[in-house]
Amino acid sequence: MRTASHVLVAYVVLLVLSSIWRDLPIGLVRDATPDVAALVAAYLGLTARNYIAPAVAGAVATGYLADLLGGAPPGLHALIAGAVCLLGHGVHRRILVRGVAMTLGFSAFVGAAASLCVVMIRVLSNHPLEMSFAMRELVLVAIGTAAIGPLVFRLHRRIDAAFARTHRERDAALEGITQ
Amino acid sequence: MTFRRRAIDWSLAGLLLLLPALILRSSLKTGELSALDQAVLRVSSPLESAVTWVVEGVGGMWSRYVALVGVEDENRELRDENDKLRRDLAQMSRRAYDAEALEQLVDLKKRTEADLLGARVISASTTPFFRVVRIRIDRGKHEVTHDMPVVTSEGLVGHIGNVYGDHADVVLVADPDSHVAITIPNAGLSGMLNGLGRDDSYACTLSLLEQTDAAGKQPVHEGDKVVTSGAGDAYPAGIVVGTVSAVRKGHAFRQEIEVEPAVRFSSLRAVMVIVAAPPPPDPDADKKHKSEPAFGTRPL
Repeated sequence: MRTASHVLVAYVVLLVLSSIWRDLPIGLVRDATPDVAALVAAYLGLTARNYIAPAVAGAVATGYLADLLGGAPPGLHALIAGAVCLLGHGVHRRILVRGVAMTLGFSAFVGAAASLCVVMIRVLSNHPLEMSFAMRELVLVAIGTAAIGPLVFRLHRRIDAAFARTHRERDAALEGITQ
Repeated sequence: MTFRRRAIDWSLAGLLLLLPALILRSSLKTGELSALDQAVLRVSSPLESAVTWVVEGVGGMWSRYVALVGVEDENRELRDENDKLRRDLAQMSRRAYDAEALEQLVDLKKRTEADLLGARVISASTTPFFRVVRIRIDRGKHEVTHDMPVVTSEGLVGHIGNVYGDHADVVLVADPDSHVAITIPNAGLSGMLNGLGRDDSYACTLSLLEQTDAAGKQPVHEGDKVVTSGAGDAYPAGIVVGTVSAVRKGHAFRQEIEVEPAVRFSSLRAVMVIVAAPPPPDPDADKKHKSEPAFGTRPL
C-alpha cells in the first residue's frame, strides 16, 4: 500500500511536470528536465526496510509510467529506475540523505547516473548520441533533478509519515531517517 | 531475516529488473505500444489535458491580471513618446504645407509678368464678430504701399490696407470694405464685388452688373468663374477671384449673386504682393517684322 501510494504520487508529479515544464519561460530551464522516476526510485531504495523487492517493483512501475508519459521506449526508464533503486538501497547504510545541501547533491548524482544509463543503453542498442550533446543533457538533467529533489523527497517523506505506525516512525520518516 | 528470505527477496528484485529489460528489448525491436501501454496512455492523456488546461488558465490569469508590474511606467513612457511624435508630426505637416505654398508662389512669380513681392503671413485678426478678415504680412512700408493687390496661386486675396513699420494689413476680398471690379466671362457681365464680412463664410456679393458683351449674353449660373476686370486700375485684369456660389432672384429684374472666393483664407501661409502691374499688351505683337538679310547682295 505504501509503495502503491508512492507510485501514485509520482504519477501525479510526472503528469504535472510534463504539462508545465514546456511552459517555463527560459529555454535552458526547459531543457533541464528533471528525472522524477529516478528520484522516486532512489527514495524507495533509500527507505526500503526489510525487503527490497517491493521498492524495486514500485521503482519499475514509476519508471514505466515515466516512459509512457515522456515518450521514451517502454522499459527504458523502468529498467534504470530499478537499477537506481538498488543503488539507493546499496548506499542507504553508508550515507544519510538529510538537509537541503545533501538532498541537492544526492539528487544531482541520481539524475546524472540515470542520464548516463540512458546514454549507455542508447549506445548499446545502436542509437548513439553525439558526445557533446549527451554531456550537455546529462549536466542539465542533473541540475533539473537536483532542483526538484528536495521537494520530491519532502513529499514522499510526508507519505511515509502518513503510513507510520508510531510517533517515532513518523518523526523518523519526516527526518529522512531509515529504520 | 533468514538467508532464504533474503535470497527470495533479491531474486524477486532481479526478476523485477529483468521484466523492464525484456519490455525495453521488445519495444526497441518492434517500436509498437502494447495493449497495457495504450491503456495507460488512454487514462493519462485526459489527465494531462486537464492539468495543461488548469496550468494555462492560471498562467493566463497571472500574466493578464496579476503580473502587471511595470505596465504603468511603460504606459506613461509610451504616452510621452506618442505626444512627442504627434508634436513632430504637426510640425512636419506645417513645414510641408509652408513649402508647398512657397512652391506655388514661386511658380506664380515665374508665370506672371507683374512685379511680385513675396510675403509671409504672420498673424490673422481674431475678432469674434468678423472672423478672419485681415491678415498681417511681414513686409513694411519701404516695399509695400496702400491698395496694392495681394494674390496667391489660387487667386485674389485682397489689397494692402494699413502699413506700419515692417508690417502691413491685407484687406481680404470678403471684407465689407473690399470692392473689386470683376467680370463673369461666361455671362458677359461685369460689376463690383463687395465683401459680406460674414462670420460663417468668406462669401461676397455682386452689384452694379452691366452687360459688356451683348452678343454673348448668358444667364449667370452657379459655378461660373469670376475674374478681375481691370477697371479702375486697382487690380490687374484676369486674376481669378472666385466662383458663383448662389444665384437668387431679387427685386424687379435684378439678381442677387453670391461669390465664393477661390482662396482659402483660413489656411493662408504666404502671399504675393503685386508691386507693379504687368505691362500692357503690345498691340503690334502679332505683326511680323521682316528684317534685312545680314549677308548676300541687296536687290536693286
